[in-house]
Amino acid sequence: MKRNIFFVIIAMLLLSSCVAVKEYKKVYLNDPDMKLSALDTERFESTFQVYREGSSGANGGKTGGGCGCN
Amino acid sequence: MRMQLKVHAKKILLTLFCVACLFNISSAQITDTTKVYKKKVLENTEIELLMSMYGQDGVHSPVNGGIGTEKLSDQTTTIVISIPLNADDVLTVDAGISAYTSASSSNINPWMSSSAAALKSTYIGDIKGLNASGASSRGGGGGSGGGSTGGGGGPVTPQNAINPVGTPWLASTGASHAEKLKSLSTNYSHSSDDRNLIWGTNLSLSSEYTYTSFGFGGNVTKLFNDKNTEIGLKGSVFLDQWKQIYPTEFKEYLRIGPDFQYFGYFYGVTILDQAGKATTAYNPNQFKSWSSSGRDSWSISFYGSQIISSKFQAALFFDVVLQTGMLSTPYHRIYFADKPRYYIGTASDIANYTSPTNTGVYQLADAIETLPKSRLKIPLGIRMNYYISDLFVLRSYYRYYWDDWGLKSHTVNLDLPVKLSHAFTFTPSFRFYTQNQVKYFGPYESHLSTEQYFTSDYDLSKFASRQYSLGLTYTDIFTRFKIKTLGLKNINLKYSHYDRTDGLSANILTFGLKFVGGEK
Repeated sequence: MKRNIFFVIIAMLLLSSCVAVKEYKKVYLNDPDMKLSALDTERFESTFQVYREGSSGANGGKTGGGCGCN
Repeated sequence: MRMQLKVHAKKILLTLFCVACLFNISSAQITDTTKVYKKKVLENTEIELLMSMYGQDGVHSPVNGGIGTEKLSDQTTTIVISIPLNADDVLTVDAGISAYTSASSSNINPWMSSSAAALKSTYIGDIKGLNASGASSRGGGGGSGGGSTGGGGGPVTPQNAINPVGTPWLASTGASHAEKLKSLSTNYSHSSDDRNLIWGTNLSLSSEYTYTSFGFGGNVTKLFNDKNTEIGLKGSVFLDQWKQIYPTEFKEYLRIGPDFQYFGYFYGVTILDQAGKATTAYNPNQFKSWSSSGRDSWSISFYGSQIISSKFQAALFFDVVLQTGMLSTPYHRIYFADKPRYYIGTASDIANYTSPTNTGVYQLADAIETLPKSRLKIPLGIRMNYYISDLFVLRSYYRYYWDDWGLKSHTVNLDLPVKLSHAFTFTPSFRFYTQNQVKYFGPYESHLSTEQYFTSDYDLSKFASRQYSLGLTYTDIFTRFKIKTLGLKNINLKYSHYDRTDGLSANILTFGLKFVGGEK
């Protein structure tokens, strides 16, 4: 648990030390591969991973529904 | 009386008309005074076609109590249509159909025989007063059990019946062997004029042979700091419903009672003990049918993202998910270590029951999977993407997961998109996952009948998995290739191979096309 708290604090420190990037400088950030969510092609993989593994969530996707029983 | 009603109706209609006019005038005035240029959130309708082919195999089927084939194949086709309703609002409709065949769930009724099915139709009506046509006596929800009558011709009797055979290592031909999953979801989102506030709602439905799911939710996202920082909150509810389908031996026990061996599906079928001798001692009195079949999932998801530099951005995801209701699966068998074994099939195969060389005998279960009626899940994820150069981008993801069933897991995913040209991107990926087992997991014949909760589902066991992927993306930002008014924007192709340390392996091929509608 301590490790997790440490991890979150480090992440928050990283985020708070950022500078604002202006719109016209976001050309790299707007690249489709820089998208901050799972890619469209990962959709089906995520579904079977949720079914075949005990854990799920925290990827911006579905958090319930469906039995995954096959 | 009629006149009075008419007068009232007229008054109501007039009032509604006046109210509508007032709203119309006031909204027109607002529009006039606030008319500013806004870039549309979504310029044109987008249509995305996604297809996948998935195949897996393994040796730990939970339907057979933790042993046997897990062979499964699935073909899914999905269409996602995003429609700009106006400059601010987007409606997304997502419809999919998935056709699968599952060896594992076909073994809800593992017996591929002629006799049992024929016998029940011949004798049930006489003996039990049940409907002789009784399809239900074939194991009904548990599968067809074998279909045809015993080899042509005359009536089947206990004397000439052929004992049914089954094995955990082969697919049966039950009703659950090939099925379809249909799903439909809609999402509506609205963006504020300055595009710094987005809210949305969603509705989803899905249905398959054993399960239906209804979900709804809402989300709100706030952007600030020149759109460098984004935070979001999302709430979802899924109200799911199981169909109570039990393994055939329990279905018959439930339907007929302790005498089920003498009537119905098992009439005339010989049950064997460990020594291969006929017995009538099998009594699955530890089996309890479910009193309810609902499963609800409630979740709150927090999301935060931050641009760190002109080439680096990160996002944090944090979910709290509470599931309640029937969290176990009604047709997952359990075999207890402290109970005698009983079989149906070929006596000579009993000695090698747990080996794939067993082609003719199937063990009758002691109970079905039983798990607590609530589960609290807390996953925490972080994604960091770095634009290394015009050639490479590094996408990384890590997730830590905890739940109150004792499961903890770590997931790491790395993608390295390589931009071969303006149009083509090649993406190799690697994913590593590890989990410990839930408190209630035990392999085949390791649970004791005195335990409160038990499962032999290896998806909840301790294992690690690795996934290797290769993807190729074609992008044409000018959408030069057209089908009528739709221009092709993307083609995606991805292949992944997945290996789990318990022996399960899977392959998945994904193909996607994205079209963009033309200017109106």
